[in-house]
Amino acid sequence: MKASGKGPVKFRMPTAENLVPIRLDIQFEGQRYKDAFTWNPSDPDNEIVVFARRTVKDLKLPPAFFTQISQSIQSQLADFRAYEGQDMYTGEKIIPIKLDLRVNHTLIKDQFLWDLNNFESDPEEFARTLCKDLGVEDPEVGPAVAFAIREQLYEIAVQSVSSARESRLSKKSRRGSDYGSASKASGLSMDLVKLFSFKSSVVRKWKDLDVYEPMVDLLTNEEVDALEAREERHAR
Amino acid sequence: MATNAPIPGGSSEIPPVTPSRPIIPEAPSEISPSSNSLQPPPSSSDTDRIYIPSYSRWFSWTEINECETRSLPEFFDSRSSSKNPRVYLYLRNSIIKQYRDEHPNKISFTDVRRTLVGDVVSIRRVFDFVDSWGLINYSSSASAKPLKWDDKEAVASEPPSTVKESAKRICNGCKSVCSVACFASEKYELTLCARCYVRGNYRVGINSSEFKRVELSEEWKTGWSEKETLLLLEAVMHYGDDWKKVASHVTGRTEKDCVSQFVKLPFGEQFAKDSDSEDALETFDQIKGSADHESEGRVKDGSSSPDNKRMKLTPLADASNPIMAQAAFLSALAGTKVAEAAARAAVTALSDIDHEAGKSAGGDPNGQEINGNDSERAVAEAKSLIEKEEKEVEGAIREIVEVEMMKIRDRIVHFEKLDLEMERSRKQLEDMKNLLFTDQLNIFFHTRRSRKAEDRAEC
Repeated sequence: MKASGKGPVKFRMPTAENLVPIRLDIQFEGQRYKDAFTWNPSDPDNEIVVFARRTVKDLKLPPAFFTQISQSIQSQLADFRAYEGQDMYTGEKIIPIKLDLRVNHTLIKDQFLWDLNNFESDPEEFARTLCKDLGVEDPEVGPAVAFAIREQLYEIAVQSVSSARESRLSKKSRRGSDYGSASKASGLSMDLVKLFSFKSSVVRKWKDLDVYEPMVDLLTNEEVDALEAREERHAR
Repeated sequence: MATNAPIPGGSSEIPPVTPSRPIIPEAPSEISPSSNSLQPPPSSSDTDRIYIPSYSRWFSWTEINECETRSLPEFFDSRSSSKNPRVYLYLRNSIIKQYRDEHPNKISFTDVRRTLVGDVVSIRRVFDFVDSWGLINYSSSASAKPLKWDDKEAVASEPPSTVKESAKRICNGCKSVCSVACFASEKYELTLCARCYVRGNYRVGINSSEFKRVELSEEWKTGWSEKETLLLLEAVMHYGDDWKKVASHVTGRTEKDCVSQFVKLPFGEQFAKDSDSEDALETFDQIKGSADHESEGRVKDGSSSPDNKRMKLTPLADASNPIMAQAAFLSALAGTKVAEAAARAAVTALSDIDHEAGKSAGGDPNGQEINGNDSERAVAEAKSLIEKEEKEVEGAIREIVEVEMMKIRDRIVHFEKLDLEMERSRKQLEDMKNLLFTDQLNIFFHTRRSRKAEDRAEC
């Protein structure tokens, strides 16, 4: 099995649905609104206004949030679209994805490998299955997990765009840098060859088992309050 | 979970998610225990019932109906691999389950989208679809559950001045009617008048930041008494559209108030000229009753129509068709029972007229002919009328065509004449040119001859 790099591909989320993770964290007049969800960039832009209005109405936020929310969403979408025209390198890219999130009373810690080359991957489906298998009762955990996965994939995709650009520049200037290494430039990707060479088996080593096992914790109210207080202190 | 076959009597039940909540689809009329169009369901109290409108009877947990594929094609046209019917079912069923868990509170889109995996715009579309079909938020009138937001945020000592529409008027502290503005705490469900709030006349344990200032709604300001309504009606009758005079007649109300109150008056007021509002409803019923006397759906509970007025508008009300919207508005004003009875009366009256028309046209003394034949005759009549119309239309078209042809013929003749004229005048011109030319030649020859003669003469 060779670690061959594919030619550059137009930027998109390496998932079946080209959805953008959008994170909102708006402070205004002493009120803080934090949210995270996925957005489909092929939806028309008037959806942003509709969504912002709905959200402000449902959560009874002061109306000043409306413009802030729609601006934030628009700028994140614009960033995404800015990347869309460019190339990204998709070499052999198996990356570890880490989950470490707290949603209401549920704490999830997990790590697993994800194939960045698989453009049919579906973080939403993964999240749904994960919650079902682990018996997570809180329905807000699923979307949070999917969002976390998507965010990490997005970051790595962005990195591969910049590395593709660098490698192109380096090719032009003929600095002799190995452009084949661009696919491993992220430093996170694992070399399949090393993993699955005939010397080692496909089965994971003992010491790695703990790392790769999902862990779900249900917190009590006090623990939740303590963690939230700590987060707010960090935020300030 | 599959739907049961409809129980005879017109009601059908969708098996509930939790056994304590039977779900009953209803015709969009208000549920009253004495109504004969529904069988009262076997168990539980009113608060556990979840109603959905009868036009949503197609709903089934495991199947997808045609209207769903039509309204939300994105899930069914296999354009994207993760928008497929299975995902749609997951979204739809989770939304409805979540609503039923929250019942009788309404759920908002934001509540839903936080718990569903998927992109928010598709979730919003499914939510709107389910909402508009009354599968969620249909029977709830309660507002949404209190937000975590309210509890968690640290508010300054002054309560934020949000304006809410609330009909609470009695102060919990001093048991007096609140005027102008009051202070309400959602968390503890207290309402205090301004005086009690300022005095601190509330339970220990609540601090002043829990209260929000509430401006009292129009309901208090426009608590129109009977006398005022009577004055209003008189004034409108005398002055018609001159609202300034109306307002001056109804002492103490601005023009805008008068107009809005007049619009809000029950429909019957427009017919009842000199009676006050209670009598108006009775006369209204009498008028309806005279049209009703053939129908069986006699309005027994005319007195309950004031309650029906307050009922939320039927879903037709936001139809884009202005006529349907009018009809919905009027039927909502009048109350659904009355509207039903009126519609039935109208239908039977129409069919009676047809019946009579059929008899006189047929002339056949088969008085035992039943309604079935009437409808057949009506159909045959309609067909013959259509044929006549078609023939007339054809005849008219033929005439038009003939007239047009004649016009064209005339024009052609005219053009031909003109053409001839042109030819003639052109020939004339040619002849004249020729003449001119010969004249010129003659002159030339003459002049030459004369010159030669002169030359010979000189030499």
